[in-house]
Amino acid sequence: MSDRVYEILFIADPNLGEPEVDALTAQVQGYAEKEGARIQRVEKWGKKRLAYLIGRHREGSYVLLVVEGGGPLMKEVERRIRVTDGVIKFMTVRVDEELRKAERRKERRTAEETRKKSRMAARSTGPEGEGVTQ
Amino acid sequence: MSFGGGPRGAGGRAAAKTGAGARGGKDQGKRYFFRRRKVCKFCADRIDYVDYKDVKLLSSFVPERGKILPRRMFGTCAEHQRKLTVAIKRARNIALLPFAAD
Repeated sequence: MSDRVYEILFIADPNLGEPEVDALTAQVQGYAEKEGARIQRVEKWGKKRLAYLIGRHREGSYVLLVVEGGGPLMKEVERRIRVTDGVIKFMTVRVDEELRKAERRKERRTAEETRKKSRMAARSTGPEGEGVTQ
Repeated sequence: MSFGGGPRGAGGRAAAKTGAGARGGKDQGKRYFFRRRKVCKFCADRIDYVDYKDVKLLSSFVPERGKILPRRMFGTCAEHQRKLTVAIKRARNIALLPFAAD
C-alpha cells in the first residue's frame, strides 16, 4: 500500500504578521510530521480576499501543505488543526488518486499522438514506397 | 475503457464543424440561428486534472452570481463538467469562490 497524498489548505487569521503565519505553518507541519508524514511541498499564498465572510474576516492568509502519509494520519492532523488558534478555516483533500488518473490519461494521450503521427508519416511516404493496403 | 476517446472524438467533430461554418460564414451575425459549436476548454487545453486551487481558471466558469452553470453554457464535455463541478465545490469550501454573491 503506497502512501496517500493530501493537500492541507488552511486560512490563517489576517491579523497575524508574517512571522506568526510562518510559525503557524511550522506548527501544522509539525502535526503531520509527528504522525509520520512526509512534507512534499509548502506554499504560502499570502493574504487573499475571501469569497465570503468567515466569522468576521474579509480576508485571510492562505497556506498550502502537500503531505504524504498513511490513512489514519489526517484524522489526527485535522483534530489538531481544529483546536489551533489562528486558523480560521481549513480543508484537507486527498489528491493522489486523481493525480494518478490524470497522469495516466496524459501518458495515454501522448502515446496515441505519437502513434497517429507515425501513421500519418507512413501514409505520406507510402505511395512512393511499396503499395499501401489501407 | 474508452472514456478518453469520447471527448477527443467530440472535439474533432466540433473542430470540423466550426471549419465548415467558417467556410460558409460570410453572413456571420446576420443569421442568429447559427451558433458556433463550443469546444470543451479542458479538452482543448489538455487539462487532465481540474485543480480547485486554480481560481483564475475556475472563475471563468462561474458567473458573478456564483452559480455553477449547466454545461451547455460553456460547452464543456460531460467528463470535464463533472470534474469542474467538484473543483468549484471544493474552492467554495475554502472561500476561494463564493457560494452566492451578496
